[in-house]
Amino acid sequence: MKRKMLMAAVTAIVLCATLPVGAQAAAPLAGQTITVLLPPWATLPKDMTDRFTRQTGIKLSLQTLGWDEIRTKIITASIAGSPPADVTEVDWSWVGQFGSSGWYAPLNATVDGATARDLPATAIFTYDKKLIGIPYNNDFRLLIFNRQHLGTAGIAQPPKTLADLLADAKTIKEKGVVKFPIALPLSATEGTATAWYLLTKAFGGDLFDNNLKPLFTSPDSAGYKALAWEIDALKAGLIDPASTGLKDVEVQELFKNGQASFDVAGWAGNLSVYTDASKSKVASVAEGALMPTVSGKTRTFGLPEAVGIPAASTHKEAAEAFIHWFVAPENQMESYTALGNLPTRTSVLKSLDDSGKLASGKALLAQAAVVEPLFKQGTPTWYPQFSSAVSTAINQAAKGQLTVDAAIKQIAAQAAEAQEQ
Amino acid sequence: MTSEVVSSETASPVKADTPRTFNSDRWLGLAFVAPIVVVMGFLVFGPVLVTLWDSLHRVDPMRLGTPFIGLENYRNLMRDASVLHAWFNTMAYVIFAVVLETAGGLAAALLLNKITWGRRWLLAAVVLPWALPPVVNAIVWMWIYNPSYGLLNGILQSTGLISSYHVWFNDRTTALLLVALVHVWRMLPLTAVILLAALQSIPAELYQAARLDGAGPFRSFSKVTLPLISGGLAIALSQSTVFAFNLFDEAWILNGSSLDTRPVLVQVYMSAFQNLRFSYGMALSVLVMFASLLISLVYVLRVYRETRYD
Repeated sequence: MKRKMLMAAVTAIVLCATLPVGAQAAAPLAGQTITVLLPPWATLPKDMTDRFTRQTGIKLSLQTLGWDEIRTKIITASIAGSPPADVTEVDWSWVGQFGSSGWYAPLNATVDGATARDLPATAIFTYDKKLIGIPYNNDFRLLIFNRQHLGTAGIAQPPKTLADLLADAKTIKEKGVVKFPIALPLSATEGTATAWYLLTKAFGGDLFDNNLKPLFTSPDSAGYKALAWEIDALKAGLIDPASTGLKDVEVQELFKNGQASFDVAGWAGNLSVYTDASKSKVASVAEGALMPTVSGKTRTFGLPEAVGIPAASTHKEAAEAFIHWFVAPENQMESYTALGNLPTRTSVLKSLDDSGKLASGKALLAQAAVVEPLFKQGTPTWYPQFSSAVSTAINQAAKGQLTVDAAIKQIAAQAAEAQEQ
Repeated sequence: MTSEVVSSETASPVKADTPRTFNSDRWLGLAFVAPIVVVMGFLVFGPVLVTLWDSLHRVDPMRLGTPFIGLENYRNLMRDASVLHAWFNTMAYVIFAVVLETAGGLAAALLLNKITWGRRWLLAAVVLPWALPPVVNAIVWMWIYNPSYGLLNGILQSTGLISSYHVWFNDRTTALLLVALVHVWRMLPLTAVILLAALQSIPAELYQAARLDGAGPFRSFSKVTLPLISGGLAIALSQSTVFAFNLFDEAWILNGSSLDTRPVLVQVYMSAFQNLRFSYGMALSVLVMFASLLISLVYVLRVYRETRYD
């Protein structure tokens, strides 16, 4: 009896001692408010954010800014040592700069092996072995086409090679289906550069070798041919000349309005937007297809987006709770349905396809299987400077101010300059 | 008469109150000036000095340390083709803006000065573009210049001046002029208001005297109006120059970072916030500040010399 009494007393003491600890571990998160800074396409609907607050007790202050403005806000706040928000967008192209600056808290410890395997894009967000963002948007590029336009022009199947793509576009134009069949941005913006990277891969090449030396300078290189292809298509009247002033999102409007037949560098997640009748005029005829290449064997590259926690955040635990909730399978599924963010979890993609909710699921999954990183070594710190040089030179070439050769030389020179700094 | 006034003012009070003496009036004067000195010190002169100092270092968050590099940033700026391109664009904006704003602002001010009925309504209408945020102005003009559905193409095509829609920003000179026009549209009202205030301070008797001496409208304008509004004109020219040097929103919204229309402040933004080369961007912003100050100083000193008669 005495022994039982002693055990009960010890248990009670242990329980009493541990109770406050447990309460402290759970309680601080409830009632906290965290700021979340995301672009418009990731701004969650209110019913989702309300559910997060109900489940965790953490209040969300959701801030929406343009993609470029988010980057500026992160930089200005971080250089001043203050957090831009508790959770922010982290684009694949910022990883080099933000990773080397140490502005983001490492998240390695918060992701277990199984989750990491289900989220293959985490590798792209790892800088110097530190995971600075957990991917939420599985952006990669594929061909999106208007089935009705092809049918009217007598074309049965989407093109498999770049030569077929040009020939089909010419046929569509000649038959008067649309004036400018190819939607491709040519302004001095990031979307112009990423389209060229994709076409470089489609021509069977890469931008840089393993030592980051340019591979696009020779006239028989893929990058050179890709730029020449763009300028030829523009000169042939297959691309709207106004594209020299259009961003990628504005070019997508042309496709959504039925003014273009091919969205050549289509965003994978955009298929759900294009096929949504409330957002698109071509909902019933927009389809995805594998990216055409010169060889006929498809290629593409990934441009995923992640969410990360700035090192200066004062609510890191609550921010972690939000990130894990955000990339949870059921929320990725809902985010895809509501916003068109293609899930980064392989299991969710498969589940969406099995349930028939993935628009052009067959093409998407086949394309997803061949997604390559743009930089095998990880995104370099000089990427934004290089990307700006690319889009500026392509914009000048499209306006007739530079020849293809001069534009390529300019890109190579500025790439070398960016690498030296 | 002027000399008498000057001598009577300088004779007794200055002798009685030597510069070393601090009476209550001086303390009061200092008290009035102190807040603006403190505010300017913290918000203007302090940051300027820090920027100047940092521009002589390598400030790059991606690299460890901030070593002193002397004038290297400035030397590199002289060799940077994009920077030189941006300088050319900015100088073009300054010339377009200063000429058009001054001529247009003066014409608007003269017109407003003549009108007696409904002047306040007209003044309100003229000031409206200046009252709108620059981003809103630029977005309105972006729609006007749009190659697919823009008003400009629509008007020119309906009047038969062009046969097909034109992509305005594909030609560099046109693009520079169109961006400058948006800036002029926004800033011209300020010049007009400054000059209108100067015009309204001219006594009507001077024009009557000029007429009696046989001066026509042009002679009255050149011999009476222009000299007497030269102070206002110097302020208007200075603000036009400074604002043209600081042109950012219009170029950014209408044509992004395109090299054709990229002003030097967009180049500063790209160097500092895109490439994360902060001290390089700071060095460029220091040069912009000095260029802007230098040109403004020329106006001010010239007008000061021309309007001092003592």
